[in-house]
Order: sequence, then structure tokens, then C-alpha cells
Amino acid sequence: MTVILRAEGVSKRFGGLKAVDSVDLELNDGEILGVIGPNGAGKTTLFSMIAGSIPPTSGRVLLEGKVISGGSPRRAVRAGVVRTHQIVRPFQNLTVLENVMVGAIYGKARPLGARERALEVLDFCSLRDRAPQLPGGLTLAGRKRLELARALATEPRVLLLDEVIAGVNPVEALQMTDLIRSVREKRRLSIILIEHVMPAVMRLSDRVIVLDAGKKIAEGKPQQVVKDPRVIAAYLGESAAAAAPAPVSGTLPTPVSGSGPASHPTPPSNPTPTSTSPSKKGPGERP
Amino acid sequence: MKLLPHWVSRPALAALVAALAIGAVLPKVLGWSVYSQNQVTETLLFVAAALAWNWMGGYLGQVSFGHSAMFGLGGFISARLLLALHLPFWIAWIVGGLVAAGYALVWGHPTLRLRGPYFSIATIGVGEATRLVMTYWEDLTGGSSGLSLPITPGLKSELYWWALALMGAVIAGSYALRKSTLGLGLLAIKSDVDAAADVGISPTLMQDIVLLLSGFTVGVCGAFYASYQNFIEPGDMFGFDRSISFVLMAVIGGVGTIIGPAFGAVVFVMLRQYLIGSYPQLYLGIYGVLLIVVILFEPLGMMGLFFRIARRFGLLRPEVEATLEAKAAVGGAAADPGAREGGAP
Repeated sequence: MTVILRAEGVSKRFGGLKAVDSVDLELNDGEILGVIGPNGAGKTTLFSMIAGSIPPTSGRVLLEGKVISGGSPRRAVRAGVVRTHQIVRPFQNLTVLENVMVGAIYGKARPLGARERALEVLDFCSLRDRAPQLPGGLTLAGRKRLELARALATEPRVLLLDEVIAGVNPVEALQMTDLIRSVREKRRLSIILIEHVMPAVMRLSDRVIVLDAGKKIAEGKPQQVVKDPRVIAAYLGESAAAAAPAPVSGTLPTPVSGSGPASHPTPPSNPTPTSTSPSKKGPGERP
Repeated sequence: MKLLPHWVSRPALAALVAALAIGAVLPKVLGWSVYSQNQVTETLLFVAAALAWNWMGGYLGQVSFGHSAMFGLGGFISARLLLALHLPFWIAWIVGGLVAAGYALVWGHPTLRLRGPYFSIATIGVGEATRLVMTYWEDLTGGSSGLSLPITPGLKSELYWWALALMGAVIAGSYALRKSTLGLGLLAIKSDVDAAADVGISPTLMQDIVLLLSGFTVGVCGAFYASYQNFIEPGDMFGFDRSISFVLMAVIGGVGTIIGPAFGAVVFVMLRQYLIGSYPQLYLGIYGVLLIVVILFEPLGMMGLFFRIARRFGLLRPEVEATLEAKAAVGGAAADPGAREGGAP
């Protein structure tokens, strides 16, 4: 398999805090790569560097051998890397169609036929019937699909999805999972996915990397990674990792799955006081 | 036949052409006095200036309190050119506009990184600094005694048609800026500058384009005003009231729309005539009160009232009305706090 996107020793320092510490990452063509880790692990900061919105302190990101980091988001988008936002940010003053048209026009600087391309993407994301409405009238799941549609309209090669499933109800979560899968199958994109909803990560990802306190601590197939003692320690603290048996269901405990072992019932996003690093809220994470 | 870009609405184009044609014959038909015709000329001029201010304040959401800098600079550059070189006045206007546009870029490029109130505060500083420098730069502005332009008989009445043409061009420009793909990008920047950048828009480039266009047009208006008044002085041209007047015209009429600032300018010029005549000490205070009342009760000004009436009597389809209102809104965000929550578990 060919590597389409590569991050080489990417670091970001905010004052005294190393939000991302020398992370290497490879994304294969057509792959879905999951990025997991506790809050404040540096996932969103890593995304911002790949998408060009913040420059790395050191290291670089390459798309098919061409450097895309350290410039502007526009450079990354023109090259073919686009992100969505964890907290949805539709243009409130534009209709759903116009929101997507902005991506279609400015993504590759192609104003011609933008409307048709935007409508096609809206169809793909099941938002066509919402086209003339303002985004304020959509549900959260709808706004997340709009966020995805706007990104898709820029005609990317690589899509960075920042928590597009978290926060929606289970039915909508399944729809979103299907949509992400069809983005890969039908639109032939490679995807990096930040997600807290573990069942979705397990089902979607070909491979997972785990960040903790800015460092990559594990990488591999989803089923292997969640059994890794370092990963369990990162989520639940060293003592929990020592005490806990290997997770039977092959998933980390989450509020959605509710299938976590009884010995550590706390959701991973909310470390207990027994954790070695109870507060990991970094500047890269929005509240 | 496809002569027009798809975003040009034929009825709107026809209406503009018809209005200009009627405007062109109106003075002869109605037999206006010189005084009335001059009043209308001045009104048309300020319609153009208010619309050009609105490109920044309404479309981009960057409220400038420093547009007098470009108005004054355009005026004094063209006045000096007319005095020294005896150029045709319209060439002097264009040169004045170009210099004003260049000056706008010099201060605007760095300050447009600021957003919202921070940008507005910076523009107050720019406006006042420019006024002070210009007051003491006697070689250019003649200091506080100002400049007198040679009076060309006949020009003053001819200026009406020039003002009409200028206003027509600025209305067409406003329409193009608002409806074209460029306008869509501006509205996206107004709503969320970072999200706009993340889908490939360059906010810096787009803001600089609007700044140049707005600075040029306001500079031309200043140059026009110099020819119209025959006498200009820095305190009036560069004054803070001048900057405020552009803000007021757009806000009274309704920022972010095309018709709004145009009507706002008409109301403003009429109101000023009346207030200066009747309450010369109070008129600035009355403007202040007016501004507060409009922003408190109808942030979209006269257009807001229009939307209200349209809603009440079902003149526009509700979704069309909501869409128009959202696009005009300052800051670009319709009142929907729910839209920004969610995401993080």
C-alpha cells in the first residue's frame, strides 16, 4: 500500500506545554486511521497542524511527498487535505447549499459548476432537502453532516474528521458511521478520524494510534491497541491497568457502549482521581 | 444567450437601469431649483459613500470608524491636482481614489487581522491620527484654512449627472460584491473567519480586496465632494463626525443590504439639513441617540422594519426572509446559540 500522508516528528509547544511531542504518523491510501487518547492528549492540535491552521514547532507533514504544514490552511486544502471541526462551525448566515458551495468554490478555486457539485455532495450526505434552509434549523447530527459535506466539497484526498460522531444519538451515530464508510468506498478518500465513541472507532478504523500527553504511545489494529496496558493506563491510571483484567469485549469502556468491565466504570474522557494524570486539558482541545 | 453571469437577476438590472434613466431626466422634468438639485446631488454622493462603507462594515462585518481618512485624502489629492495641473476633474477624482485606496491598504492590511470591536477601535486611531497629520501638513491640505478650488461655472449643475453615474456604478458594484462568488466568501468570513480559512478561503486576500475597493470608492466620493463644495478643510474632511456619518447612514438604513444604506443616506442627509438649521448645537447628540435606538431596537435599521412588515403581511416567503436577514446580520450569526454547542462529550 502506498503512503499518501506522512507526519514526521511533528511537535507543538504552547509556552511550557508540549501539546504534541514528536509524533510520527503514516496514512495509507484508502485507509481509515483512528486517533484516540484521553482529553488533552493533543489530538486536535495534531489535526490543526496537519490541516495547516497552526504551524508545528518542529517536524513537518507531507502529502505525497509535498510539504503542506507550516503554511496556511488554504495550502493544505488546495493540496487535498481538509478538516472538520469538533464543535461544528457552519456559516450561520448562509444556507446549507451556500455553505457547501463555499467549499466547492474556494477549495480548489473553481467557481464554475460549484452549485452542481455542492448539490451532488448534499445528496451524498442526505442533506439535499435541507439545501435552502439556514444551518440553525438542523439538528446537531445534521450540522455534523453539513460540516462533513462542506469539507467534501473541497474535493480532498485526505479527510480529517474531528469527533463527527460524539454527541449524537445512537441511531444517528450509526448513520454517520455508514456515511464515513461510504466516503471511503465511493469517494475513494483516505480518512483520519479522532473519536471518543469507541464502538465507532473499532468498527471504522483499519488502524489506530493512541496519543497520551502529546506522545504516541501505541499503534496497531484496533483490537490489539485497546488491550495494550499502556493504553489502559493512559485512560484509567496505572493502578487500574494493573488491577484490571484484559477487557473482555475488546473495547474500552465508554458511555455509549456501556460494556466496560465493572472494575473501572468511569468513562475514558473523565479520568478518576486515581489516575496518574488527572487533568489533561490542553489548549488544543476546545471545551 | 448568456451575456450575464448567472448571479445577475434580470429584474434587478432592469430596475437599476430604469431608475437611473428616470433620475437622469428628473431635474428637467420637475424643474428643480439650483438649491434642490444640489441637495439631491449631495444625497446621491452620500448614497455611494455609505454603500462603499457597507462593503467593509456590512459584507465583511468589519466596522470602520476611520473611513474619513480615505474620504479626506481623496478630496485633498484631487483638489491639489486640479489646482496644480488643471487636469479634467474626473481624472483628478480617479487619482484621488487610487491614492486613498493605497492608503487604506497601508493601514488596513495590518489592522484587518483584528476582528470586531478591536478592529473598530484601531480604525478610530487611524482616523484621528490621519486628521492630525493632515491638519499640520499645510503643503497638502492648506492647514486649518483649507483649500479653495477654482469655480467652474456650469460644473456644479453638471455634477448631478456625475453623482447619478457614480451612484449607479456603486450600486452595481454592491450587487456584484454581494451576489458573486466573492460575496459568498465575504459572508463566510463574516460568519467564521477560521472555518472559512479551513475550506480554502484566504481571509487576508479577500479583506484586502474589499479594503481597496471600499477605499477607492470613498476616496472618489471625497474628491467629488471637494469639487462640489469648492472649498475643503481638513477638520471637516477628516473629522470624526465624517467617519461616524458613514456608519450612521449604513446603520440607520440596515447594514449588509444594498437598499438599506442607500435609504439610510437619504434619511441622514435630510435629517442633517434640518438639524443643522434648527438645532446646530444638538445635532451630534441627536445622531448618538438615534444610533443607540436603532441598534437596541432594530439592529437591521430600516431594512429590519421592512423585514418585520414583510413577515407580518406575508410579502416574502418565511425562509427567503430569514435567509436575507441572516446574511445582513452584523457578525453574520443568526441568534442561534444552540448551533455552537455539542461535539465534546
